[in-house]
Amino acid sequence: MKLSEMATHANWASLQPEFVDSEVEAAYTSDLLSDVMANAHDADVLITIQAHNNTIAVASLAGIKGIVICNDRSIPEDMLASAAKEKIAIFRTSQNQFQTSQTVANALDA
Amino acid sequence: MLADLHNHSCLSPCASLEMSPRRLAWEAAAAGIGLLALTDHNSARNTPAFFVACREADIMPLAGLEITTREECHVLALFDDPEDALAMGEWVWEALPAYPLDAERFGDQPVVDKNENIVEMIDRLLTSSIEYVFHEVQHETERRGGLFIPAHINRQAFSVESQLGFLPPGTYDAIEVLAPEAETYQQRYPNIPVITSSDAHLPNQIATQPFCLQTKEGTISAIRKSLRALCSPQ
Repeated sequence: MKLSEMATHANWASLQPEFVDSEVEAAYTSDLLSDVMANAHDADVLITIQAHNNTIAVASLAGIKGIVICNDRSIPEDMLASAAKEKIAIFRTSQNQFQTSQTVANALDA
Repeated sequence: MLADLHNHSCLSPCASLEMSPRRLAWEAAAAGIGLLALTDHNSARNTPAFFVACREADIMPLAGLEITTREECHVLALFDDPEDALAMGEWVWEALPAYPLDAERFGDQPVVDKNENIVEMIDRLLTSSIEYVFHEVQHETERRGGLFIPAHINRQAFSVESQLGFLPPGTYDAIEVLAPEAETYQQRYPNIPVITSSDAHLPNQIATQPFCLQTKEGTISAIRKSLRALCSPQ
């Protein structure tokens, strides 16, 4: 399933259109960036509430293609600008991290 | 006098390479700062050069680090001299993951001497979180006689509020708050001194958010006393 298809399926708001619409095979859920940096290397999508610029540097390093910000957290402009530069998609959902993880897992299993 | 206790030099990967300790000291002095601290991420390696520059610029220096706790809270540990800060830095280094620096993404981490010559490039990412939790870093800082100040506690990232949701109950030498909310926080925490800082990473951020401190001496014990006076007016 492509990133854009996943976003439509999960009803996420897409906030940053400049991304590479690649295949999603795995996701990682974490709110500690040091943990993402160490352990998210196999993931294409990061599910988190850490809505700030530093998340982009860490996601880029880990090879993340898209970030889903949960609980409708507000997303600062500089985060969107950095994401555009790194071609990383930014989505937002009102669901929490558990619900979002479940949605992604179900979609990948289907 | 004006005090500014949270500033970065070129050693911090996220800071400008133009932020030599010398430039920070001289530009802060020119802007009227009387007490200045250097607090690079998880390292005090540039504090010796910073002290030389501050003495020349006739400004009182403190040697510090901005430590990233296991919970990814940023906290300031401030000491009287570079030796104490470097010793604290050794303790931090032992607890810092050996994650290699990707300078393309994060920036370089040069240690410089008093003449701005690069003497070493640190190749381990300095901004990672160390293995010790918040209260362990507080305990170690205080055991070594340093000031312990949770940094930018109302920021959306790397603060006690963003990572823990609250300021752990306890006593603090001060808490650092982003300027617009400083008064609100002083009302919320009437028994903890609230300060603001520039958290300068770029030359144009130097001396932008200092605070006023009544002290004639630049020692940790005198500053601790003066900080107390901020929240208990005479």
